[in-house]
Amino acid sequence: MPILLKLYWSFVKIGFTSFGGLSMIPLISSEMTSHGWMTAAEVSDIVAIAEMTPGPLGLNCATFAGMRTAWLPGAAAANLGVLTPTLTLCALAAVFFEHFRNSRRLAQIMTGVRPACVGMVAGVLISLSLVNYAGGGAASLPAIALGLLNLLLLVKFKVSIPKVLGLSALLGLLLFGVLGL
Amino acid sequence: MKNSTALRALFLQFLKFGCFTFGGGWSIVAQMKELYVDGKGHPDLPGRGNLSVEALLDLTSIGRSLPGTMIGNIAMFYGYHTMRPAGGPLWGILGGLACVLGMVLPPAAVLALITSFYTAFRDNLWAAAAMRGVRTAVVPIVLSALLGMLRGAFRYPPCLAVALLTFALYFLWNVSCVWLVVTGMACGLVICEFYERRPRYAHPA
Repeated sequence: MPILLKLYWSFVKIGFTSFGGLSMIPLISSEMTSHGWMTAAEVSDIVAIAEMTPGPLGLNCATFAGMRTAWLPGAAAANLGVLTPTLTLCALAAVFFEHFRNSRRLAQIMTGVRPACVGMVAGVLISLSLVNYAGGGAASLPAIALGLLNLLLLVKFKVSIPKVLGLSALLGLLLFGVLGL
Repeated sequence: MKNSTALRALFLQFLKFGCFTFGGGWSIVAQMKELYVDGKGHPDLPGRGNLSVEALLDLTSIGRSLPGTMIGNIAMFYGYHTMRPAGGPLWGILGGLACVLGMVLPPAAVLALITSFYTAFRDNLWAAAAMRGVRTAVVPIVLSALLGMLRGAFRYPPCLAVALLTFALYFLWNVSCVWLVVTGMACGLVICEFYERRPRYAHPA
């Protein structure tokens, strides 16, 4: 299959199985690493980049993976893929909006999809932890400490994500760059 | 009022929204509320593009329950909703496309630029150290999103089993997410049909 078609198809799958926000990380992670378009560490980078720049994760990931594999045409193909549910299913839903608004079936489907997303995101969380806190094989104590600090800032003190990311970059520079840990 | 003028207005408006959609899709909903619900809307749009709060909530909740990126879906709904009264379903779809295109271009341009610098940036020793720091924040970000997802995820007791099952299938047996989502959909239909027939659960809060 030509590369543009491969990219498009991968992101069609990602688009159709993502229901809001970070629920697309599990499939993005497996599609990107299985095609060799990104390493596991790069998947983490793209999540961080997506949180720092405008636009949702899916579109940002599409641009990143598309640019790296087939430059601008790749980015266009991947973005088109991730937008395919919007351009087809959602356009249809707009035309028949009244039927969708109080749809019992849609509510029933979402009752099962939500816990499924919880399970998948919990799974990808473990894989991401293994990469980010034990990159070289052995667990890195400074990285784990920094992670716990970030968790505390985000969940307990409600610090905004861009601020947390900025602080992590500075502390990373200090711990891993200046001190060479 | 010409429909093509309205299309251009929609495109430019969403181009502006697209520049400020940091950290997920909620900021675009906030911006739409400010302009179309609380504000005066746009003079070139049919009905000034105004929306009621209820209409915006409807767009948002259905946009979230359909697959794909939430803000793409909301943009499509809003464009259709605004243009259809002026020119019928075809103009409605064109309105939706104008909104989606406008909203997608700014983030795509920013990311394209960042990606071209990324490889050079990453190979720099200092940048690599900073990126290692940034990566330690990714798991906490996903974890706090997961905590938010827990709310409303377990409507009936078997939903917990669905979460455990998908976790095991994904993590231990590497089953594709496509199948897991389809499994979730099927489980949702079965679970709801079962519980909605029992009088005690007929009308969940």
